[in-house]
Amino acid sequence: MLLDFHRLGWWRWVLLAIVIAVSAFLLLPIIFIATLSFGSSQWLIFPPPSWTTRWYGELFADPRWLAAAFNSLKIGLIVTVLSVLIGLAASFSLVRGKFRGRETLKALFLTPMILPVVVLAVALYAFFLRLGINGTVTGFVIAHLLVALPFSILALTNALEGFDKSVEDAAVLCGAHPLEAKLRVTLPAIAPGLFSAAIFSFLTSWDEVVLAIFMASPTLQTLPVRIWSTLRQDLTPVIASASTVLVAVTIILMLLVALVRKGMKS
Amino acid sequence: MSSHAVHSITAAKLPRRRKAGGLRGFGGAMPATFLVILFFVVPVLALLLRSVLEPAPGLQNYETLLGSTTYLKVFANTFIVSTLVTICALVIGFPVAWALVIMPSTLTRIVFAILLLSMWTNLLARTYAWMVLLQRTGIINKTLMQLGVIDQPLALVNNLTGVTIGMTYIMLPFVILPLYGVIRTIDRAVLRAAALCGATRWQALTRVLLPLAAPGMAAGGLMVFVMSLGYFVTPALLGGTSNMMLAELIAQLVQSLVDWGLGSAAAFLLLVVTLALYAVQLKIFGTRQMGGR
Repeated sequence: MLLDFHRLGWWRWVLLAIVIAVSAFLLLPIIFIATLSFGSSQWLIFPPPSWTTRWYGELFADPRWLAAAFNSLKIGLIVTVLSVLIGLAASFSLVRGKFRGRETLKALFLTPMILPVVVLAVALYAFFLRLGINGTVTGFVIAHLLVALPFSILALTNALEGFDKSVEDAAVLCGAHPLEAKLRVTLPAIAPGLFSAAIFSFLTSWDEVVLAIFMASPTLQTLPVRIWSTLRQDLTPVIASASTVLVAVTIILMLLVALVRKGMKS
Repeated sequence: MSSHAVHSITAAKLPRRRKAGGLRGFGGAMPATFLVILFFVVPVLALLLRSVLEPAPGLQNYETLLGSTTYLKVFANTFIVSTLVTICALVIGFPVAWALVIMPSTLTRIVFAILLLSMWTNLLARTYAWMVLLQRTGIINKTLMQLGVIDQPLALVNNLTGVTIGMTYIMLPFVILPLYGVIRTIDRAVLRAAALCGATRWQALTRVLLPLAAPGMAAGGLMVFVMSLGYFVTPALLGGTSNMMLAELIAQLVQSLVDWGLGSAAAFLLLVVTLALYAVQLKIFGTRQMGGR
């Protein structure tokens, strides 16, 4: 009865109302930001008295915002490549290796994802100060790689577990070099997994705030760091436009993932 | 060709596998292992060492943290907010997860899309939205005043109310998704049986559905509680300076006050509590419920 929508009676309208309210609660802030970024009011009056692209103009005219966006992109791309390569090698090993303690090793790889990121940030900050790589792209990449790698490993071990290894073996039997078989048989077969690993690695780096705050220097900031430091001063609508750009990139990439998954199914 | 011949070809062509050796196939995991040990295990252990070595060897950092009212207030804030957020997220999340299981699938898909969109929208963007929405001249205060519910704008931001609202918003998907997984596996026949035996809807809810969903509630709730304990961005922006939570304290001790000993000790306390709670979760629910960002 309670798990049958049509036999819930008037309760189902209550449930439906809650779902709609919560959906609105989840969507509202995102729509709100996008609306404000096109609103003319400096004081973020809602609904906006009139519409303008002035804040985007200011955003794209400011070399500091542009530099931050460029840094985000650069760091994100390096992290993506490394995360997929290291994650792929690790996943092959985790799925096909015969050594003991594979489960423990996988848990170790995933730990940076579940620990409070502030602890990792402080630990790395201290470590990088010693090594002298604080405030460098290298520092950023290492920090983001640690939290991106779990996503990559999850996606790729999952894909590899779903792939029938005998297909690869067949290619080897037909004369392919084992490496060639991996490259031309296995990798295309797990392409959706590779794609998810890449996108989620990129997004993890692109959206990451806490590690970035600790890794940043006045001359090297990512987009979230720039938003963070601006937010601490005032709530200018330029932040709304920067946030909208940030979110738009995320949505486009998420849609791509969804499309690829759908394409693979059909 | 006899099967024996096939076998010998197979054995010759497939990559040779060594028989013994405890590390067979470990090679691929080397870069990741190296990365995680050098840049995760070592720095975290070094941090732990600093907490007992700086400024002088001993446990005085932990004594300071646990003995002063300033820091105890931070712990209290952290605990209160995390508890409130967990309760709010569970109370709001349960009906949503329940509805997701039974609603027509088109609706379910839309709500799932919204959940994912919300989860993957930048944390700062979402927090910024709440800073604007909740401020004194913000739309929520304005609407309430226009409706005549209040005369004075409510202080919704720069206090723990703001933090609780913002964090509940962020944590909701983390309750809804695991809870959905658990409710989906509940056998509908059990609830039909309850109805046949004369249970009212309310009785079926409180005596059958809720107890069956309890493992999911506990798992999701614990996860949200743990994540809330270490949250940095949202409390720092919505809480204001006088309502600090633990993560912000750690950042401030290290970055502004450069008190590495005390900062490390605070970080280590957070780490221990987090790991202990995860261990509880693993012990009770096994690995299947783990996940999240």
